[in-house]
Amino acid sequence: MGYLATIFWFVAEEVEGTSSEEPSGLDLILPAIDELIWGAVAFSIVLFVLNKFAWPKLRESIEAREKQIQGDLEAAERSKNEAEQEKRRYQQQLADSRGEANRIVEEARQQAEQVRKDIIAKAQAEAEQITTRAQESIAAERASTMQELQSTVATMSIQLAEKVVGRSIDASAQKEMVDAYIRDVAGMGNGSSN
Amino acid sequence: MVLALELDINHLFFWDPLLFEGTPYELNRVGILSLLAAALCVGFFLYGAAKKALVPKGAGNLAETLYLFVRNNIAIDVIGPEGAKYAGYLASVFFFILFSNVLAILPGIHFAPTSRMAIPFMLAILTWIIFNVVGVIKQGLGGYLKGTLFPPGVPKAVYILLTPIEFFSVFVVRPLTLMVRLLANLMAGHVLLTIFFLFTHEFLVTNIGPTAPLGLVTLAVATALMMLEMLVVVMQAYIFTMLSAFYIAEAVHGHGAEDHLTHDEPAHETPHEDRRPQLEGVAA
Repeated sequence: MGYLATIFWFVAEEVEGTSSEEPSGLDLILPAIDELIWGAVAFSIVLFVLNKFAWPKLRESIEAREKQIQGDLEAAERSKNEAEQEKRRYQQQLADSRGEANRIVEEARQQAEQVRKDIIAKAQAEAEQITTRAQESIAAERASTMQELQSTVATMSIQLAEKVVGRSIDASAQKEMVDAYIRDVAGMGNGSSN
Repeated sequence: MVLALELDINHLFFWDPLLFEGTPYELNRVGILSLLAAALCVGFFLYGAAKKALVPKGAGNLAETLYLFVRNNIAIDVIGPEGAKYAGYLASVFFFILFSNVLAILPGIHFAPTSRMAIPFMLAILTWIIFNVVGVIKQGLGGYLKGTLFPPGVPKAVYILLTPIEFFSVFVVRPLTLMVRLLANLMAGHVLLTIFFLFTHEFLVTNIGPTAPLGLVTLAVATALMMLEMLVVVMQAYIFTMLSAFYIAEAVHGHGAEDHLTHDEPAHETPHEDRRPQLEGVAA
């Protein structure tokens, strides 16, 4: 039987270690007292040591982790809520800033409009003044021109009359005649225009 | 060709004492392996539990996962929230059986102390004591016996037949099946592995010749059986612990009272009563 030891020593030991008293088949399914005692000792060690030292430590570790995870989750929830509040505040501030900016722009626009209107009004006023002054100047120029024309026409008329009547007439008489003529002409002009 | 293969079944299971010969506490190989299994089990979990870390790694993580598996998936799942109280015992049973069973496939040892009756017997009797004591404490002696022997919702005449069956089933068959199931599975595994490895040895070493290919076949079968045995050693530890938990659950909640489980937990798709026959079927 020793050959078995070459590969399967466990079988060899079993074969060589067989008790001299041949056990019956029933012994296979009945607990042997010595094995029962050592089995009980072994399991008692397992039961005692694991329940006294191993399981409580593992439970502690698991509970600590659960607590930590729970704490982390709650902290995360708190942070999330705070972040949301912060976000809302920022959005509110942003909205306020936008309103403020719009208000400022609107004010600026209104001021610009006002300035534009003022400038236009001033320009119009100046333009009117210039126009008025120009009209007055034209009127004065016209009056002066008329005066000059009148004088020139009188002179030319006298010269013409002298040529026609062949004699000179004195200056005051000439002047009187011309004025009378002009009045007539003016009267004819007014009469025809009427 | 007739093979001269000698195999006496007694050679596989009976051992001469190594220490304390002639006393009732003789220490033979079974005793030593029982102590070895206990030492491995205790050593592993003490080592795992000693590793303090918020997120454990390696042995610490494995120890914690294994303990949690028994506590949550067996004790609490089967017994309910109260099951946490029994998790210590159930986990000790589970891992002691597991470490003992694993020796069956550990190279150099190839023998599980659970393939001898002592440990299955002891654990089954312990479970029997526990579930009966729990039943009496929780329901009172009268209530426990009444609930067990006279299940409600049955016509009175049927009790004539049912009560002896229930008595036999709960107080005799339960511990008996627990111990025999574990013993038989491990014993059968041991015998099968030995036979196939002996044949392999016979064909490939002792009588090498034209039958050598047969040795390859038996080697392949032995390898497959080894893998099957890996499954069996875990399954048997699980089944023993699971059934112990079922029996304790019944003692805690009364006969047939499986509604203690909260149905909002998705893991509880089937009440434990529905799963027990399946487990007992697998065990056979």
